[in-house]
Amino acid sequence: MARTVIPIGPQHPLLKEPLAFQIMLEGERVTDSTMRMGYVHRGIERLCQERTYVQNIHLLERVCGICSHVHAMTYCHAVESLLGIEVPLRAAYLRALLCELERIHSHLLWMGVLARNIGLDTIFMYAWRDREVVLDIMEALSGGRVSHAINIIGGVRSDVTPEDREEILEQLTTLDRQVTRLVGVVEHERSLQTRTKGVGLLSLEQVRRYCVVGPVARASGLDADMRRDEPRTPYDRLSFNVPTHTAGDVWARTLVRMQETRVSVELCRDILKEIPEGPLAVRAPRRVPPGEAISRSEAPRGEVFYYVRSDGSDTPARVKIRTPTLPSLLTLPQQLKGVTMADVSVVLSGVDLCIACADR
Amino acid sequence: MNALIKLLIFPGFGFLFIAALAFDWIDRRMIARYHGRVGPPWYQPLADFVKLLAKEDIVPEGTHGLAAAALPIVSLTAVLTASLYIPVGGIVGASFEGDLIVVLFLLTLPALAYFLAGWISVGAYSVLGGHRSLLQYFSYEVPFLMAVTCPAILAGSWSIAEIINSQAQTAWSALMQPLGFILALIGLIGKLKRDPLDIPKAKSEVVAGPLTDFSGRKLALWHLTMNMQTVLGIFLLVNLFFGGSRLFDRVPALPVFGMKSVAILLALSTASALYARLRIDQLMDLGWRVLAPLALIQILATLWIGG
Repeated sequence: MARTVIPIGPQHPLLKEPLAFQIMLEGERVTDSTMRMGYVHRGIERLCQERTYVQNIHLLERVCGICSHVHAMTYCHAVESLLGIEVPLRAAYLRALLCELERIHSHLLWMGVLARNIGLDTIFMYAWRDREVVLDIMEALSGGRVSHAINIIGGVRSDVTPEDREEILEQLTTLDRQVTRLVGVVEHERSLQTRTKGVGLLSLEQVRRYCVVGPVARASGLDADMRRDEPRTPYDRLSFNVPTHTAGDVWARTLVRMQETRVSVELCRDILKEIPEGPLAVRAPRRVPPGEAISRSEAPRGEVFYYVRSDGSDTPARVKIRTPTLPSLLTLPQQLKGVTMADVSVVLSGVDLCIACADR
Repeated sequence: MNALIKLLIFPGFGFLFIAALAFDWIDRRMIARYHGRVGPPWYQPLADFVKLLAKEDIVPEGTHGLAAAALPIVSLTAVLTASLYIPVGGIVGASFEGDLIVVLFLLTLPALAYFLAGWISVGAYSVLGGHRSLLQYFSYEVPFLMAVTCPAILAGSWSIAEIINSQAQTAWSALMQPLGFILALIGLIGKLKRDPLDIPKAKSEVVAGPLTDFSGRKLALWHLTMNMQTVLGIFLLVNLFFGGSRLFDRVPALPVFGMKSVAILLALSTASALYARLRIDQLMDLGWRVLAPLALIQILATLWIGG
């Protein structure tokens, strides 16, 4: 049978961010694939060494367009542990609230993209409509829909007033209703299942070997979640379950993400109900003592890791970021082998790629 | 003079052009409602058409220029010719015994032109899309042809006018052969390459399929052909399965015909809003393991009743 090479990317309707694949086809079946990345490499880690600790918060918020808050927050955690300061309780709750909102926002966005790529525009429109509610809540909280700029070293910048709190709780009720309905539709949609079941398989062993994290790992049966395994306040005070599946295909990832969305809506409510009164931030010194620190948190796509080394000046000597997309990217050639050309779009959408994160 | 009006204005080309744009608009509006959107204003299909006509016409290097220009014209010609034999509200441009076969033949020509459009292109997406369109053709066309044969068998004639008349004496074919109607509807979705059977032009897989390298006037003609084919396919189903323009004797013919056509269009819009795209192998399975046997059963049943 004839061999064809199909280029996907760096510009292709399937990809929302630049990434290049060469797909080797035999008939409609993929025999091999090569990947090229780095189109959105901005040298953020190097730039971090030229800016002060405070300026870096702004910079690192721009690593990712979807999970902007979790990057800035994880960086702040690392710097705070270098400084040896403890964030006030109220600030920790507010940070966690934005984290959970971001997770809902990211998962709904992903659901829409997957549905769009398999020609199910109705679910795409529904998912993105529901996502609007999250963006509105974020705007009420921080003033920004995507970049929140709410983190400062030692706490957070803006507060939630009692009136805002009531309003957000009301919006969360709407969101809960809409998300429940969407999840119900997705879970019972037969044509979605026929396209996603058995596609993009990753075994538990492969997940361990490639260090895959987040919903992709949990869909293959790896029960790992930074919020529960290494809890920071307020997650140690909240109870929530971590959904996992064992099938390891795109359908399992869909289920994991949809169930996580519902868990996150519940968490948002609990956080808002239990949020204690108190100061928003503690004063942090300008100079950071020499030393190194790591911090990890659960971003929507999985564990995000920061390493910060200080040489005692007002700029960090090194900032290293490990984003959850990178290991998922590396598994793609494995996942693509043997699928049909039509399933390439499902496989690529299924892992929820954030190329900007991976390239930095 | 009368013949010229029939050819150019009603039910000929002018009417078909307006109907194509109107159906496109209704379809987009309807799908938008399913999505929870507002949808485009009524002049959007016309604006799209005019915009494409005015745009630069690019033929990539390595593509056969003459073939690229001829293919959209050939498929548009085939569709326009087919329109002469399809009655609209009882009015028909031309009619003879056996016109159903000619119409079915003419309506398959765009599928062939579509495949060739991919074949002559140099782009990988076009070639792959062309292959897919041919594979899709083999899966939907057989059940479609078998399904539209059933009303003809029942009427004992290959003339569309005769089939309409015979339904007036008995009942709508859709009531007597519901299975055949559903098969014809699925076949029509495949023929028109609409969601959920838009496999040859699936955006996330092969960009725009065989039409990826077309632009400007040629793309406008392709789109017009597709829209006209939608209209003609729906008109054909109304004539064959819903007794043409007949509802009750008193009700004027044209509004009834229009309403029946729009009802079928709404069924198509609903299908595209509800289902995810199939894979080509899933469509082959569906076509040969499910649709074709069912169509065979329908034909046997029709022969048993009618014969």
